[in-house]
Amino acid sequence: MKLLRPAIHAVQTPVLLIGLVLLAVLAGVSGDVTIARVATLAVVSVVFVAGLSIFSANSGVMSFGHVAFMAVGAYTTAYLTIPVNLKAALFTNLPGWLSWLVDVHAGFPVALVVSGLAAGVLGVLTSPIVARLSGLQSGIATLALLLIVYNVLNSWTDVTRGSSSMIGIPRNTTVWLAFVVAAVSIALAWGYRSSRSGLQLQASREDYWAAQASGIAVGRHRALSWMLSAFVCGLAGSLYAGYLTSFNVNGFFLSATFAFIVMVVVGGYLSLSGAVIGALAVSALQEVLRRLQDGQLTGGSALPAGIADLVLAAVLLLVLIKAPLGLMGVRELRLLRRGRVQDDALDQVADGVAPDRTAKVGAGG
Amino acid sequence: MVLRIDSAYIQYGASVMAVQGCSLHVAEGELVSLIGQNGAGKSTLVKAVMGQVPLHGGTITVDDRSVSDRSFSTVRNRISHVPEDRGIFASLTVGENLRLGGITRKDKAGLAADLERELERFPVLRKYWSRGASLLSGGEQQQLAIARALLLNPRLLLLDEPTLGLAPIIVDLIFDVVAQLRQEGMTILLVEQNAVRSLEVSDRSYVLQAPGKVLGSGTAAELADLPAVVEYLGFSPAEMGVTR
Amino acid sequence: MILEFLISAVGLGALYALLTIGVALLFGVLGLMNFAYGEIIMAGAFAMYLFRDQPWLVALLMAIVFAVAVAVVSEVLAFHPLRDADPVTLMIASFAVSLAIQSLARMTVLPRTRGVPPEDFLSHRVDLLGADVSVLDLLTLALCGAMLIAVAWMMGRTSLGIQLRAAAEDFEMASSLGVRANLVIPSAFVIVGVLAAIGSAVLVARQGAVSADMGLQPMLIGVVGAVLGGMSSLKGAALGGFLLGAATALLESLLPTDLIAFRDAFLFSALIAVLVVRPQGLLSGAKVRVS
Repeated sequence: MKLLRPAIHAVQTPVLLIGLVLLAVLAGVSGDVTIARVATLAVVSVVFVAGLSIFSANSGVMSFGHVAFMAVGAYTTAYLTIPVNLKAALFTNLPGWLSWLVDVHAGFPVALVVSGLAAGVLGVLTSPIVARLSGLQSGIATLALLLIVYNVLNSWTDVTRGSSSMIGIPRNTTVWLAFVVAAVSIALAWGYRSSRSGLQLQASREDYWAAQASGIAVGRHRALSWMLSAFVCGLAGSLYAGYLTSFNVNGFFLSATFAFIVMVVVGGYLSLSGAVIGALAVSALQEVLRRLQDGQLTGGSALPAGIADLVLAAVLLLVLIKAPLGLMGVRELRLLRRGRVQDDALDQVADGVAPDRTAKVGAGG
Repeated sequence: MVLRIDSAYIQYGASVMAVQGCSLHVAEGELVSLIGQNGAGKSTLVKAVMGQVPLHGGTITVDDRSVSDRSFSTVRNRISHVPEDRGIFASLTVGENLRLGGITRKDKAGLAADLERELERFPVLRKYWSRGASLLSGGEQQQLAIARALLLNPRLLLLDEPTLGLAPIIVDLIFDVVAQLRQEGMTILLVEQNAVRSLEVSDRSYVLQAPGKVLGSGTAAELADLPAVVEYLGFSPAEMGVTR
Repeated sequence: MILEFLISAVGLGALYALLTIGVALLFGVLGLMNFAYGEIIMAGAFAMYLFRDQPWLVALLMAIVFAVAVAVVSEVLAFHPLRDADPVTLMIASFAVSLAIQSLARMTVLPRTRGVPPEDFLSHRVDLLGADVSVLDLLTLALCGAMLIAVAWMMGRTSLGIQLRAAAEDFEMASSLGVRANLVIPSAFVIVGVLAAIGSAVLVARQGAVSADMGLQPMLIGVVGAVLGGMSSLKGAALGGFLLGAATALLESLLPTDLIAFRDAFLFSALIAVLVVRPQGLLSGAKVRVS
């Protein structure tokens, strides 16, 4: 048992989080069709926020542009899995150099990975931007990225069907497949968080210039985490397309961005556990609100449409005012504590008191 | 006593102690200088008086009122601060910068008289009245910053490194102005790295050593009797031929 | 032909400058990149729709009332408790405010797009120095131009204006001189409300319709203009907005039709490029000299 403790410490957080996701899956498979749908989409959201948190939680830089990666994943899956004859009918005006899009086809597992890679390519292309920017500038730049991708998807009608929906994607995403991808994403996110690059990036989160001055190549680690998180968000997009079988470009714009922001901010955007818990909690809240809006919970008296968004916005504002670091702060879900000293230090960081963690640990030990 | 700092403790973050148990006081009409090397905690102390950094222990009072009180206002208690970076508004003109100095004053006649006096003292400001403040040289900006601070008709003037990075001739001018203000009876806390000039011009001095500890205090002659101070400064204040 | 184009380009430039100042003012004073600016515009536009049967000036007045009310309420409810928050938190909060106002509008008064019949006098064309100019373009130019002059006067000549500019540049120094946050911040929101209302009146006249999400485009224009011009000074931001508007008018008459659809992509790529290469903005040259 003594020998096992370090190993348990190392993996307890991802295992607990995957367990939480499993609970959501079990609730989904035991419920009716609607519950199953909610559960599946919640698990897809977990994949997305795990991806987002690879970048945001480690670097401390908020991104408003990750939905663009999800869009790239979804469109890639559409091109790869819509039956070839249907594609020929859908895309009659493809420019010559893209005509091969009609003929390519792949099984869903391949499509899933390729979708992640395609989003990863966009991540590679855009990584110099996030490597150089911080804070608000990074926020504006990532939002600009979203707007560019949206504009291209919405206007390049011959290739993307523009504002018409992408249809005829075979349903390949099951709740269990989504679960497996979510588990892998959580493991990836945790793995990155505990890696050398992840730890150095977290050091820069507390004090950018101090990290820079002590020889940490902050830009390079940011770029790396950005690419990895793009890949995971591409997976989420692929699962999303493979579950809904049709989607519209407007699904990858501001309201989706907002929903994911609510998830990570409510949970705590500096913590992987926070992001995952936030995704599950907000998904459940959204469903309750949807039912309220339809009048299912109030015995038929429907509330006006839009109340769900209003409540979400209010929840987000309340969290920003009362607990800007969300439910989890910078803490992670744990059953076993490592030791008093370190936890104290972490708690202080969570309270925003102590940016200098190592010195505190040293003083206490 | 205009300013009294009593065993002040100030820290940045959890562990970086910037000021450790510093005590000093400035009486009415006194010119007191705070001498010490870079990082001794001088600017931090001044910022604490202005309420810009929180106090972790001890007290700071101005006219027997604690600056940590919620109701305390540096403006109402007429504390003027000329920060190290001068705090000039680059996008405003010289005139607009000066106008901000007296923004809170109700006695318009008194303000006009004070403005006239400062423009006499700093003729360059009258000359460049409607010019953008960003176009002034460093020395001119420092004059603007001091003039603007004086327009509050301050009870206490905090000057933080007013000669930093300036040409020698401008340094002379600034120290002349400081001496002039002392003659006029202004209460001043002067923060300086230039120990020789500060000792010359001040009534009393405090020598500060990192992290914000008073190594010694008194007139130049009294400081000369303190071996630790002489060692820290690298010269004896007595050798300067200071008579006060 | 040249004059006609010039009036339309300068008019659009003035409109964009107006929108940009609305974004840059709040950013300067309290570090707020306000995404809810679009909804303040929407509130004004809704007043233009609600009072469409009243004389146009009455509708304009009501637009100012509505927009200022929304701006001030958003300050009191959302941004006041967040005064010490960092810019990114503020930006997220403004995102929430934006969505909240939009969904409120959708739930109550604007469930779908409403047409606003164009005022008669706006659809005329007049002969000006031999050029055939639409009254709408003239109105855009006159209204936005007058508003810009008014703002310039207020910022340059009044005590409030000087305090606002000082606070926008260095809030801590300004407050140590006695500039009161409780004066400048609410004032900034009121000014933003007025700017948004004038902008909304022009937008409604140009678009002939009002909808809950109509504020997105003008808000983004304001953000892009502010970043291009450099957010540290209002003058730079206004110039950035003006050049953006003039360039847009030029591009729209020069670009082939199938590329116009990608205008936003070009615009936001340029925005990213500016952020990466010249984060202080293209036009901001003012720097305090060190010695």
